[in-house]
Amino acid sequence: MSRFAQVWRTSTVRLTATFIAIFVLFAILLMGFIGWQSSVTIQRQQADDIDREVRLFQRIEATQGIRALAFALNRLSSQPGPGVYYLGDASGQYLLGNMTEVPPDVLIDPGVYSFDYDRPDPLGPEAGPPGGPAGGPPDPPKRAGVALVRSVELNNGMRLVVGRDVVERRGYSAIILQSFLVGVVGIIVFSIFAGGLTARRVLKRIDTIRDTSTKIMSGNLSERVPITKRNDEFDGLARNLNAMLDRIEQLLQGLKEVTDNVAHDLKTPLTRLRNQAEGALRDTASPETKEKALETVIAESDKLIQTFNALLMIARVEAGAPSGALSEIDVSTIVADVTELYTPVAEDEGITIEATIAEGVTLRANRELIGQAMVNLLENAMKYAKPEDGRDGKITVDLRREGTQVVLAVADNGPGIPEADRLRVLERFVRLEKSRSEPGSGLGLALVNAVARLHGGTFRIDDNGPGVRAVLDLPEA
Amino acid sequence: MKILLIEDDREAASYLIQALDEAGHVTHHAADGETGYAMASGMDYDVLIVDRMLPRRDGLSIVESLRAEADQTPVLILSALGEVDDRVTGLRAGGDDYLTKPYAFTELLARIEVLARRSSPAEAATSYSVAGLSLDRLSRKVERDGESILLQPREFRLLEYLMKNAGKVVTRTMLLENVWDYHFDPQTNVIDVHMSRLRSKIDKGHDSPLLHTVRGAGYMIRE
Repeated sequence: MSRFAQVWRTSTVRLTATFIAIFVLFAILLMGFIGWQSSVTIQRQQADDIDREVRLFQRIEATQGIRALAFALNRLSSQPGPGVYYLGDASGQYLLGNMTEVPPDVLIDPGVYSFDYDRPDPLGPEAGPPGGPAGGPPDPPKRAGVALVRSVELNNGMRLVVGRDVVERRGYSAIILQSFLVGVVGIIVFSIFAGGLTARRVLKRIDTIRDTSTKIMSGNLSERVPITKRNDEFDGLARNLNAMLDRIEQLLQGLKEVTDNVAHDLKTPLTRLRNQAEGALRDTASPETKEKALETVIAESDKLIQTFNALLMIARVEAGAPSGALSEIDVSTIVADVTELYTPVAEDEGITIEATIAEGVTLRANRELIGQAMVNLLENAMKYAKPEDGRDGKITVDLRREGTQVVLAVADNGPGIPEADRLRVLERFVRLEKSRSEPGSGLGLALVNAVARLHGGTFRIDDNGPGVRAVLDLPEA
Repeated sequence: MKILLIEDDREAASYLIQALDEAGHVTHHAADGETGYAMASGMDYDVLIVDRMLPRRDGLSIVESLRAEADQTPVLILSALGEVDDRVTGLRAGGDDYLTKPYAFTELLARIEVLARRSSPAEAATSYSVAGLSLDRLSRKVERDGESILLQPREFRLLEYLMKNAGKVVTRTMLLENVWDYHFDPQTNVIDVHMSRLRSKIDKGHDSPLLHTVRGAGYMIRE
């Protein structure tokens, strides 16, 4: 029973039940209407028949005389069927017909009446089973009937009553009611069956999804919701769920890598920091050594703070747009400003910066983040562009609009990044062997990547032959 | 200078009070938001240093209330929240400057000294002069001992900011924020190179340098 309660709780089953109710209601209305319509039609037909017969008898009486009428009446009366007839004299006394008695009112006032009467069934010697079409009870000598009649006064003052046994019609109504009940029961049975089948099928699909999510919740993140060939709504849902799971798995993987790297990249300077502080505390240390150690401690902690800030910034950028920080900004000015900011440092290191900056490139973006990304791109380029082996250092900055994209490229002519590493350097804390000795946290390009993603753009490292061409692609809208 | 420090971390507060005392400032301390607000509205201070997250009352709401009461005492907001939008909210609430924890004491000191100065009328001057060096903000001319010096627009703004705060230490981040309007930390010595270029233009050939490097803190223009 609890299984039933569980099934009942599901929306599918409740929906099916609602549909059954609607079906049945509709069937009742429809069949009721049909029943009512046919009963009205039959009634009208019977009334018409009666009127026609009455007119026929009147004509027979008028043209061929009373005898012909009596003959016709006798013949009709002796036939099995719903017809009822009564012919009385001027005082209403029964003369002939298959009805031996009618209420006095009918005879006094001509008109249309409906009344109960006792039908003498075995009428005449050749009485058949008249109840046949009505499907009524077997023939007793007499049975109760209801008659719908019209009475008229003939020219000679005789009373003619012509009618139909309505019980026959009632029998017909009973047939309609019966088939109606059968129909309703059939519909109920059918809809329970169909609804149950649908519900079971739907529940099974949902159960599959739930089973999968249970497995995932218990730690098996590689589990996926199976997709059928039907390509229906459930498959659409399953595909979305799987895409979501892929993203989650990817994020978790990233988180794990970051945790590992944080452990390494933050613990190392922390250890150095601690060693320096311990050294300064040592009794044998001279005042100069102590001072130097303390200065190192401050420098190390500043570097740690910087790394920490960069990490937090990436995390915040990856978590989504800082609220309300997006506005229409002039990218040209930002790129020009930052390039100008770095030009003197670059020149001091023997690097020339060539900038081609399109005027008036605007974008809906976060000014600080775009500025920081530009700074990171330049600082990264400067690391690679350092002149060595007689090569002049050169950085080119290029900002342009390409269709609906704003493309910012910062290229250097340094040794470049091997193709295999070009995606890797966009990750947090990834520093290639060559730059291990350089200052920097290994977070610069990761932040640029996060900034690109936040603005719906892309960031990639291309070959500059020689050197690296870092391209930030931002969509205008 | 009379300073009110509203900070709930006892250790950080006592370190700051001692360091500010050594720098020649009188510091009052409130350890929670309500007390801090009562002290700030009850007494006259030159600068308020307000931590953003405080027990009993939020730092930003203190600043907002003070500003609503037309109290224009300069406020430096301290916060562990350092993102762009946090800074914007802080300044929008009525803060005059925003410093992210952890910070160097020299940075904090330089900022509050510049802040306190800001409330004095010298702000509106159209020209500055230090010893023989003069800067005219309207004609954008710079002269030293009557000799005209040609500066790039950015160099002019650097010098303008330094001279506006003559005699005060100006840190590299302050220069970056006020001259370039960026709030990030450059990893390389970008500011230093700009400063050495500026120095070569205004001090070269003169016996007494005016642009000084303050070790471990930043730069200063003085006689």
